[in-house]
Amino acid sequence: MTRASSLIAGVGPLLLILLLWQWASASGLFPPQVLVAPADVAATLADLIARGELGVHLATSLKRLIAGFLAGAALGLAFGTGLALSRTFEALFAPMFQALRQVPVLAFLPMLVLLLGIEEGFKIVVVAIAAFFPVALAAFDGVRGLPRSYLEVARLYRTPLVPLLGRILLPATIPPILTGLRLGLTRAWLVLVACELLAADSGVGQMMEMGRQMFRIDVVLAGVLVSGLVGFTLDRGVKLIERRQLRWKAA
Amino acid sequence: MRPIDRPAVRIIAALLAPVAVLIWWQAQSAAGGARALAFVPLQDVGASLVEMAASGLLAADTLATVSRAVTGLLFGSMAGILVGAAMAMSPIVDRIVGPLYHSVRQVPLLGWLPLIGLWLGNGDGAKLLIVGLAAFYPTVLGSYEGLRQVERRYLEVGVLLGFTPLQHFTKVLLPGGLPLILTGIAQAIAFAWIATIGTEILLGAGAGLGATMSHAQAQQRMDVILVAIVATGLLGFTLNHLFARLRQHLLRWQAAIA
Repeated sequence: MTRASSLIAGVGPLLLILLLWQWASASGLFPPQVLVAPADVAATLADLIARGELGVHLATSLKRLIAGFLAGAALGLAFGTGLALSRTFEALFAPMFQALRQVPVLAFLPMLVLLLGIEEGFKIVVVAIAAFFPVALAAFDGVRGLPRSYLEVARLYRTPLVPLLGRILLPATIPPILTGLRLGLTRAWLVLVACELLAADSGVGQMMEMGRQMFRIDVVLAGVLVSGLVGFTLDRGVKLIERRQLRWKAA
Repeated sequence: MRPIDRPAVRIIAALLAPVAVLIWWQAQSAAGGARALAFVPLQDVGASLVEMAASGLLAADTLATVSRAVTGLLFGSMAGILVGAAMAMSPIVDRIVGPLYHSVRQVPLLGWLPLIGLWLGNGDGAKLLIVGLAAFYPTVLGSYEGLRQVERRYLEVGVLLGFTPLQHFTKVLLPGGLPLILTGIAQAIAFAWIATIGTEILLGAGAGLGATMSHAQAQQRMDVILVAIVATGLLGFTLNHLFARLRQHLLRWQAAIA
């Protein structure tokens, strides 16, 4: 099948749904608090963009996401590598790590609200926790999965720590760690949106929650669209990096 | 054997970090100050556990949460397996449903909550829909990929033996795709559990461990929250563990082949 026809096959059903939706809302069967036309959602979205409101919400959310993700991923990388390299570190911290991993991050929200309040710090900590676990796990698996011989050669040559990390550990463990980072990023986004629904004064999640409270289903749907686009972009972005990293492997 | 590999040493080492955290927590609660309300003394947490267990609240919440998770899981994963199977077996369904599935899936799960809240309110329907959706996504992927990777030659044997379409499905496709279908269900269990707790916390109505946490947050009852967190962790672990056992049992033939 050619590119053009597969594109039509992909977009066609979506267009059909949009048409059906437009027709259903124009038919007057549903009150506007229940169903608004896709054209109205598009108009609301354009309006939110034009007034800069969406930009502010999006920027706030992304700032929280980046700050929390960077902190959580860095800690996760260090922790996972530590678990994989040191038997003592593993004996000390692996059991607690495994136990905490059983609890969904969202279940920590009420506790963290009481401990940290609902300011910016709370959201960044929650995002960091969400990113920490998958990244730590991926780093652990990646470093553990290294062939033992690599480390033995390094030990034989008494490779100092920095080249050991930079020349051996890093290149060999990048693929699994990138997968972990991607998982961590999508988890972090999910949890951040939930956090903003629960307690925030701005952000994409808060925009949706305000829309819900004011029965503005068009605003809610615009938020759904934006949060989906952000999720898609994050996932696709890391996947592209993964593919570039894997090029040498195929050859 | 290095000292760190001795079982007794490992048990002591495993307890060091949690005990340190508990001691730090207890010291914070004794120190008073701005956050003293949040750091409840551990004996209070123990007392709350006893009280919640004795009053039947813990059992009622557990039952409500687990039955919500299991109901959503059943509906969501059955729908997911059917949709995935239809996509795997019919190129037309694949072309039509595939793009829809992949675009809807991009929205963070709980991002649907305001919309579904507007449509269905904050009762059981809204929660079940989200939990079902959480279970739906991974099972679609599992059954789609599972059924597609069944080897052609197995299908050819079926043709040679004159299988009916139903026999094809139950004797060739289903066993061949089972490992990946079960992987999809295992992920569905994890996601459904997260979604159950998440929706209960965010909607905060009705019974359930998440709803209890949400009420406790409003009343600043950290002791109740901690009991509910521990219960959530234990239950999630048990669900995953039980399914892992079931999966092992269902796939016991696999080791013989591989």
